[in-house]
Amino acid sequence: MTEAEETLKPAPDVEALEQEGEIAADYLEGLLDIADMDGDIDMDVEGDRAMVSIVGVKGTELVGPDGEVLEALQELTRLAVHRRTGERSRLMLDVGGFRERRRAELTKIGKAVAGDVKRSGQPKALEPMTPFERKVVHDAVAAAGLRSESEGEEPNRFVVVLPA
Amino acid sequence: MLEEALEHLVKGIVEHPDDVRVRARRIRTGRVLEVRVHPEDLGKVIGRGGRTAKALRTVVNGLSQGRYVRIDLVDLDTA
Repeated sequence: MTEAEETLKPAPDVEALEQEGEIAADYLEGLLDIADMDGDIDMDVEGDRAMVSIVGVKGTELVGPDGEVLEALQELTRLAVHRRTGERSRLMLDVGGFRERRRAELTKIGKAVAGDVKRSGQPKALEPMTPFERKVVHDAVAAAGLRSESEGEEPNRFVVVLPA
Repeated sequence: MLEEALEHLVKGIVEHPDDVRVRARRIRTGRVLEVRVHPEDLGKVIGRGGRTAKALRTVVNGLSQGRYVRIDLVDLDTA
């Protein structure tokens, strides 16, 4: 990145991201209270995103099969933030470390598939994934020195790893 | 608990939270939660392509421990 580009890229507004986290925490804490679930809410800022994690909840009601409840709850939480700030939120929600574990798994998959594609010289398509999951795979493939693209329409959008 | 959870989730995303009403009804296949919102908020709780309505249904069904819950979204003016 050149110096000019660096100055053009706006620095993340940490204060605004922290405020996003606070609004999200209120919304989620209210839900935990009503559902009579134990659990704490951790807040963090990672790069240009607010990260909010619900930790210490028993059961998987808030994650759901393949994380679908987690994705839905993240969507609603972003809307709750948007209503209060007027700004579109890119906040990331995690429950019980689900995303962290999924990230580790998908990084491994991305790396393995990149290895396959390097050997075969043929593009390879993966199964449909959420935007978060695709991003992790794209990053892992890029780290292995190959390119990948997303194809298809949500919710069946999938990653294709391309040969060099 | 589900009515209350749904009411909280909806109130947090609309412009007129005081107008949100949730009523539970029993049907043969399970339960229906009927959500009434201010007419200006109906579009908001449905979302683009029904995205927000789907998210509300997914979260409530996640909390319902396997029992089927239907969610109807209507505006306050609907009788």
